[in-house]
Amino acid sequence: MRPFHPLFILEIIPELVTYLPVTLGMVLGTVLFGGMWGFFLALAKVRRRPVTKALAEIYTYVTRCVPSVVMLFVVFYGLPELLLSVGINMNGVDNGFFVIVTFSILYAANISEVFRSAYLAIDKGQREAAVSVGLTEAQAFLRIVLPQSIVVAIPNFTNSLINLMKEGALAYTIGLIDIVGQGNRIIGRYQGSYTLEVYLALAALYWIMTIMIQKFFGAVEKKLSRGKKELTTAA
Amino acid sequence: MLEIRNIHKTFGGNQVLKGVNIKVEKGDVVVILGPSGSGKTTLLRCINFLERADEGSLDFDEIHTELKNASRRTVNKIRKKTAFVFQNYNLFQNKTALQNVMEGLTVARKVPREEAEVIAKEALDKVGLADRYGYYPSQLSGGQQQRVGIARAVAVRPEVILFDEPTSALDPELIGEVLCVMKELAREGVTMVVVTHEMSFAHDVANRVVFMEGGVVVEEGTPRQIFQSPREERTSQFLHRINRDYDYSI
Ligand SMILES: Nc1ncnc2c1ncn2[C@@H]1O[C@H](COP(=O)(O)OP(=O)(O)OP(=O)(O)O)[C@@H](O)[C@H]1O
Ligand SMILES: [Mg+2]
Repeated sequence: MRPFHPLFILEIIPELVTYLPVTLGMVLGTVLFGGMWGFFLALAKVRRRPVTKALAEIYTYVTRCVPSVVMLFVVFYGLPELLLSVGINMNGVDNGFFVIVTFSILYAANISEVFRSAYLAIDKGQREAAVSVGLTEAQAFLRIVLPQSIVVAIPNFTNSLINLMKEGALAYTIGLIDIVGQGNRIIGRYQGSYTLEVYLALAALYWIMTIMIQKFFGAVEKKLSRGKKELTTAA
Repeated sequence: MLEIRNIHKTFGGNQVLKGVNIKVEKGDVVVILGPSGSGKTTLLRCINFLERADEGSLDFDEIHTELKNASRRTVNKIRKKTAFVFQNYNLFQNKTALQNVMEGLTVARKVPREEAEVIAKEALDKVGLADRYGYYPSQLSGGQQQRVGIARAVAVRPEVILFDEPTSALDPELIGEVLCVMKELAREGVTMVVVTHEMSFAHDVANRVVFMEGGVVVEEGTPRQIFQSPREERTSQFLHRINRDYDYSI
């Protein structure tokens, strides 16, 4: 076995970074599709329609009990079978597609809880005040409740994003070449000699991305917290 | 102008309103008194459909509707003729005092921005908050917040303003400033329905007092009739109790 080679970490980081768009694309795609799906789930949970409410809750409960790596394989092997039975051939479809589908299914459940609690955190009296001065329910939601819910949701949203990014490291198991996938190829290229160095380089990259996400959303939250107690911006 | 007939409302198995009738004429200041749980808040909330009554009808100028199945359009119409002042203010936390007052004008009534701003500033000036336009609710005292709440209601020029215990969340030293504003509105001829435990307000400002208990109107009349010669035993018991509590609290 070769001795530990710290400089190798720095050497391979540029190569890993070229695969960052794959990692980030997977996260972004999931946040987009999973986020929309999660929004509808949250809507079903706060509405007083018993059937859709129950379905949304069952969905959340069931998907939350499945580990991501298991879900990944279920989708990877299961989805093509399912679609084939309705005549759609999935051969040649990019692995990234299955990754985004899998994580959207899981992410929707988590983010729907974030949305739901953010919605409930805004006192319903404000909605009532809005409709009492003549706003429609939709206007009251969009202009009064939603902007405040977004601010409330930011910390939990940030956590869900960081968790998603880290869970995303499992995508290489179905053959996606993101930064982890490429890391594994590098390990193979050197017959496993630099395994530790590669994983340390990956750890550093995830560390930097996590900090950037935290800093970014921290700043956004601060900017959006108009009217919150700790700020004194009034003229 | 506004008449509600035979309003019923049940929560779960709890019958809260059992056939209440209320009539309000233009310029009236109607004060609703009654012990806790008698259904006063529920009554006000049913009038502008924050709560759906199970039974009863409403006439408001040219509008006639059953409360139970009023359409979305009718509801919105009635809400535009009324305004509500809440016990705990319910100001929009993400908006300044001025924006709170403008919202019902620009969004609900499509008043142009500049015009709405002028009206909103007037309303805030009237409640003594000319120097607080840009403040967020969290930067205002309870009394100031409630005055913004009143300005928000006044600015949309509703035909009637519904007040639900507007001073009962306030520290005693802040109650006066809010009552003062309400007295001024009454003097200007604004039509109001006020649920309150402030007997002095009922006595001095109301032209009609309604006493409710157990989901029904027990008695109504002028302040003089109700306070000096109540016909019903339950009314005089309630007034005694209130006065006694009042004495103790001094
Ligand atoms: N949303 C609701 N769900 C269930 N019960 C309710 C609801 N709102 C009110 N109630 C019940 O209706 C009854 C009357 O309540 P309401 O708030 O109208 O009384 P109130 O006369 O305004 O009393 P207070 O002087 O304490 O404000 C109470 O027993 C209350 O528990
Ligand atoms: Mg009440």
